[in-house]
Amino acid sequence: MTHRAGWTIAVLLVGPAFTGGAIAAAQDSQFGIRGLGTPGRWESVRSRSTGGAFGPFDPLSPLMEAPLADLGQLTATAAGYTSTRDVVVGGTTTPLRTTRFPLMSVAGPVAPRLAVAVGFTTYLDRSWDVILRDSFMLRGVLERYRDAIASDGSVADVRVAAASRLSRRIAIGAGLHLLAGSTRMTAERRFDDSTFSRVQQSAEVRYDGFGLSGSVLIGVAPGLSIAAWARSDNRLRAKVADTTSAVTDLPRMAGGGILFAPSPSARVAASVAWRAWSRAGAGAFDTWNWSAGMEFGPRRMPIRLGARGGQMPFGPGTTAPTEAAGSLGTGRAFAQGRALIDVGLERLERRGGGLTERVWTVLVGLTVRP
Amino acid sequence: MTRRRLALVGAVLLVAACVERLAAPGNCPDFCPSGQITIVDTLLTSSIHRDSSHRGYVLAYQSALMLAAHLPGATDTLDGRPIFRINGYGARMRLTSADTSTGAILGADSARLQLYVVRRDSATRNLRLQFYRLPVTIDTGTTFSALVSPFTDSLVRTVNIDTLLAQAGRKDTVTGDSVVVDSANHRFVLSLKLDSAAARYIPTDSGTVAYGIRIAADTLASIAFGKDAFGPSLQWYLHVDSLGTPVARKPGPLGAFATFVFAPTPAPIDSTLAVGGVPSAHSLLRVVFPKVIRDSSQIIRATLYLVPAVPARGTPADSFVVEARNVLADFGAKSPIDLLLGDSVMIHPGATDTVKIEVTNLLQQWAADSTRPTVLLLRPEREAQIFGEIRFYPSVATAFRPTLQITFVRRFPFGAP
Repeated sequence: MTHRAGWTIAVLLVGPAFTGGAIAAAQDSQFGIRGLGTPGRWESVRSRSTGGAFGPFDPLSPLMEAPLADLGQLTATAAGYTSTRDVVVGGTTTPLRTTRFPLMSVAGPVAPRLAVAVGFTTYLDRSWDVILRDSFMLRGVLERYRDAIASDGSVADVRVAAASRLSRRIAIGAGLHLLAGSTRMTAERRFDDSTFSRVQQSAEVRYDGFGLSGSVLIGVAPGLSIAAWARSDNRLRAKVADTTSAVTDLPRMAGGGILFAPSPSARVAASVAWRAWSRAGAGAFDTWNWSAGMEFGPRRMPIRLGARGGQMPFGPGTTAPTEAAGSLGTGRAFAQGRALIDVGLERLERRGGGLTERVWTVLVGLTVRP
Repeated sequence: MTRRRLALVGAVLLVAACVERLAAPGNCPDFCPSGQITIVDTLLTSSIHRDSSHRGYVLAYQSALMLAAHLPGATDTLDGRPIFRINGYGARMRLTSADTSTGAILGADSARLQLYVVRRDSATRNLRLQFYRLPVTIDTGTTFSALVSPFTDSLVRTVNIDTLLAQAGRKDTVTGDSVVVDSANHRFVLSLKLDSAAARYIPTDSGTVAYGIRIAADTLASIAFGKDAFGPSLQWYLHVDSLGTPVARKPGPLGAFATFVFAPTPAPIDSTLAVGGVPSAHSLLRVVFPKVIRDSSQIIRATLYLVPAVPARGTPADSFVVEARNVLADFGAKSPIDLLLGDSVMIHPGATDTVKIEVTNLLQQWAADSTRPTVLLLRPEREAQIFGEIRFYPSVATAFRPTLQITFVRRFPFGAP
């Protein structure tokens, strides 16, 4: 009965992603405006509080599937965050603020050696709003105008994953990824000269794509594990009113990590990931990202620290923008461990093409084990 | 305590979650979307065709005003003369309201005529009104030429408006005339006393009287009188026979049939596009609306250019408004007019400049509803309430044909990376 109820919750959680009703989005960035968007971070709040270093080993982070094999019971998790972002360009700072719910997942064992998970996370965030002030000659007169071009939505990665522990040392997993989502796009122009009507156009752009992933988790020695993963997505198709408006190749990606737990109350990890975003076309770059983090203290209420760095896939110029972040967090178990609340705080800085973004993010995660 | 803290954190997060602010100044092209709003401006020089004019929509007697003018021109004089007929009470009338007994109407001591001047040129000086007795047979078909004789030999009163306005209390104690200035509604209310010679109650004619007005001024003699609720009314002061004794009676005032006659009549409709005048004229312009604009764009401005074939005629002070409207169906001269949307332009008599009418609203309606006939109708805003008329070159005049300038926006490339 408990399992049935859990899977019912799973369907309720994941269903909206298929219908486009989900509000799943990663952290927005001005660097994603010109490209496909801002890639999501496939990490639970716990992993993100460690800079993402624990992502390859965290069964609740949708980065790898193999860790699901060690999930002893049905578990549902969700994450949300609020970020304040200062965009600095040309000496002007613009404060922005967003709230997102980038992760929902339900996972659990379905057989002695098999665990499955369904859930969604953000693949690409496409929420932005650009305001422009300019002028041009029209009917022989210099006409001033104000443009507002906005996009609101995201592409979600709906994942169905399975994992199996082949032996005491080795676990493997595979995942099927359906990329689905939509953005509500609006383009508006207001002329100072009121004899010109306001330009207002809007459209709902729907996206779809497909991907496969696989991963392996190896226990090298007691307290020492390594992980590797790979993923390939085919293409992202954008459709406006049932007409394909763009087809963009999506990256192949791979990564790995190492986890060292010298004692039950101390764990350190590091990870690295490579993504071939340059397949997406001009203005896109292959990226490398790294992270390192630690978790110490009792499992009931640990302290987490982490740092990460790397590149952003989209930006102007000939080199990829860079990002670096530091994070900390903690968690608290309730009800004999059946409910966990994770909180985290991240400070992030992105640079590239003369633009700097500085972001404070408050992360909140909720995990339930019915 | 821990629960309280958690609740506090949750509340703070909830409040923070309610705020979304994404709008940022664009730093283009590096941090702007690749797609841009594309504006196209095009001049459709040959899209208007099968244009035509028709006259007779509102006749003089259907007008809401009675027009009076006397404006000598280079070749002729514009002469407008209000005429009105006031039916009487008949040969007998009731003596009291208490019973039904009647007495013969013996005649009138006097009468008081009330008129509303609803439009005048403030620059007009020495404005005079001349009242003529007209045959009581005047009706909707009465023409200017049919009244030449009574307008020549039947003068009954002359009133100088400027003199009356200059009187103390705006009352002439000698003639009994007065004027009330209604500055809120921009009109005068004239109250003129007619003696028994000017207001003859002839029982054999049922007491019906008819009058016509000619105006004169040093310059710019052009005014308009009200009709219907603001039309002429006559208050009779009668003698009625009561068992051989004449008694005075003041029955309620009577309204009038009112219209105006004028000369010269407007030139017949020709190949030009006429708008305005009396009877009022409309013009229809049929437009070939390009599909590229209709189907895949948003019109943000549309301007109709019309070149006058002759200077706009009319009284100098009476600039008039020509409006462009859509029609609900194209039935030629009898096309039903869509009254919801309209665009307009002011026409100044004598002007020969190209007329520009912003018709953005109308073309946006065409783009939104493809079942609409793409026909523009031009008509005066106040039909038959001004003498003004303008004639534009038609589409067959290649060099001066009507043209449409349309500024539109192409479809934004939504979905492009």
